[in-house]
Amino acid sequence: MSRAFDYCPERPENIDTILNGLDRYNPETTAVFQEYVAQQCENQTYDCYANLALLKLYQFNPHLTRDEATTNILVKALTVFPAPDYSLCLSLLPPYVLAQSKLQHQNGGPTPTGQGTLAEAVQHLNTLHTQLNNAQYADFWNTFEGDDIYADLVADVQGFEEVMRVRIAVVVSQCMQEVQRSVLESWLNLRGSKLENFVREVCAWTIEGESVKIPSNNENEARGTVVRENVKFEQFGRIVKRAYEQPC
Amino acid sequence: MSVRQAPTYQQGAPERPIDDDSDVEEEALANDYREQVGYRDGEDYDLDQHMSVGGGPQDLQAQLQAAATPLEYQATIETKIQSYDSYCNLFHFILNSEGPVDIEVPSYYWAWDVIDEFIYQFNSFCSFRQRLAFNQTTTQVNEDEIAVLRENPNTWGCYSVLNVLYSLIQRSQISEQLAARKRGEDPAPYAGEYGSRSLYQMLGYFSIIGLLRVHCLLGDFSLALKTLDDIELNKKAMFARVMAANFTTYYYIGFSYMMMHRYADALRSFNHILIYVSRTKNFQKGAQYDSITKKNDQMYALVAICVAFYPQRLDDTIHTALREKYGEQLTRMQRGGPEALPIFEELFRAACPKFISPTPPDFDQPHLNIDPVEHQLSIFMEEVKNNMYSPTVRSYLKLYTTMDLTKLAGFLEVDADTLRSWLLVNKQRSRQVRHSEGPLLEGDVVNSSDLDYAMQGDMIHVSEAKVGRRLVDWYLRNLARTY
Repeated sequence: MSRAFDYCPERPENIDTILNGLDRYNPETTAVFQEYVAQQCENQTYDCYANLALLKLYQFNPHLTRDEATTNILVKALTVFPAPDYSLCLSLLPPYVLAQSKLQHQNGGPTPTGQGTLAEAVQHLNTLHTQLNNAQYADFWNTFEGDDIYADLVADVQGFEEVMRVRIAVVVSQCMQEVQRSVLESWLNLRGSKLENFVREVCAWTIEGESVKIPSNNENEARGTVVRENVKFEQFGRIVKRAYEQPC
Repeated sequence: MSVRQAPTYQQGAPERPIDDDSDVEEEALANDYREQVGYRDGEDYDLDQHMSVGGGPQDLQAQLQAAATPLEYQATIETKIQSYDSYCNLFHFILNSEGPVDIEVPSYYWAWDVIDEFIYQFNSFCSFRQRLAFNQTTTQVNEDEIAVLRENPNTWGCYSVLNVLYSLIQRSQISEQLAARKRGEDPAPYAGEYGSRSLYQMLGYFSIIGLLRVHCLLGDFSLALKTLDDIELNKKAMFARVMAANFTTYYYIGFSYMMMHRYADALRSFNHILIYVSRTKNFQKGAQYDSITKKNDQMYALVAICVAFYPQRLDDTIHTALREKYGEQLTRMQRGGPEALPIFEELFRAACPKFISPTPPDFDQPHLNIDPVEHQLSIFMEEVKNNMYSPTVRSYLKLYTTMDLTKLAGFLEVDADTLRSWLLVNKQRSRQVRHSEGPLLEGDVVNSSDLDYAMQGDMIHVSEAKVGRRLVDWYLRNLARTY
């Protein structure tokens, strides 16, 4: 599977033009990108390269920053974990945001003055990001449902929970051939018939008593391989050349 | 999956990209290098000037020379601002005169030095300004300097620096020329009035490298790699003819890859340039060598970090040097666990570029002006923490072909849930995007680990990729010896 980081099949032409030209630095295009982010949230599409361009515009023109767009971009980046997208987005945020959210974290929760700020939102999203990347999916759902703020943060992103379930299921299908039902329940945060539905309809796995069977694919088969040398003729180019030039 | 997917760290013959092996090319590079060193020793740009536009000929010559000369270390803030103004004037003159400016620049080095110094001054000015603002409350700072900085928020502004670089690229139509060359066409018809002159061509070309650097300094790693779309990365590329440019390019490519979590690609780019340096070492001397030595050590530190993430067989020379410089650190990083974190932090700090914020600092709220280096460091450390237990997991799994999860958890003294998470993390991390051809941002997802496993309930099935003997390299080397 070959993919370029800057490629997005659903990207509209006008966005593509801006991204490839100098207009990507033009503060006036901020509105266009913001619109595009809203559209991605709505249509469940995702274009990291364009979103980074918007964050860059914010980085250059802090007065234009719209916290809502920033958090939406971060939430969207969460939906493609474990890709580096979330980290790449963080890299473009102003340094004080992370420093402040770290400080809040140390003080055990947001300070009264920090409430509702970008730093606070980022701190919360960072928690989710860490849990997802560390494959602590049960903790992820606990955190997510434990505080109303998360519902607000992901409100704009259509189908966030559903997408996360699918992402987690993908990870599971890469690593496992069979998984206990109870484990899967906590990872997907689905119980009873809902779990059965999801497993059958979305994943096409089968449930056998207390375990869920996952059909084998390229990733979840531990096959021993012998890596062999791949010899190309070009490697012998010099030998052949020398032999040709100076016959003994 | 290719042969390159090497298993255990350093064992058997080193592998080298095929194109690295040509003696002929190496000879040419060495000659280039001698030529460059000779030029450096003279410290004379020897600019032929056929015509003078604006200002006296003397004046322009002085300006061109000044643009490529580093500022004194202790330069005052006024000097720094003045230097910015003279760059602006010079570039304005080059870009906005009526028609192309007619100066013949004899060497690539001058053009590189101008762009390099321009960005270097921008970088150090931004860092200086940010530090001053941050330290206002804690240390005695010069109030006059702050006043000057407050009054000149646009000096060394990000937009103007980018503007210069992009304008040079556009004026010279260098992208069009490079694209034509890539297609195997003659670039001349695409060059236009400006681009056909070597002054514009060279400035445009090195501005692309400059952009790579600026984007990386600002933390936009994907855009940094994207800017090199038109540049062909091989030994015949123009930047490869200027040692400093060659070095800089690969450092920033490697670093950007590392921040995009593409460690295999990062390693490839560091390896490439470090091998090159070790081979041309004998021709290097003087002040330029010192600056390269420093960057060289930085790159070895980054290699150590990447190898810790992504165990891989290295070239012999690189491996030996790495052991010499960072042997102990590498061992501790490869062992993983929380004890390794400070090492990662230390090496990253020592080896990262001096990141900057694009906007002037907020002098009224000093505490907001956090050092951007700390910002990038904390993002990077999240990634390190995420991977922290992978070495432990791998070292145990190597011993078994099947293993019960709860039993292994007992060995590791963690609960089953934690271990299950570690296994998932390690498995995900072993899948990496790796570049094979085309633009730098492209790549395929490949399994980068020699160890693979799958879980069946609580049973872990482990398999190992064994590497067959590598004969070709050995054969070729011995064959070459008999000639």
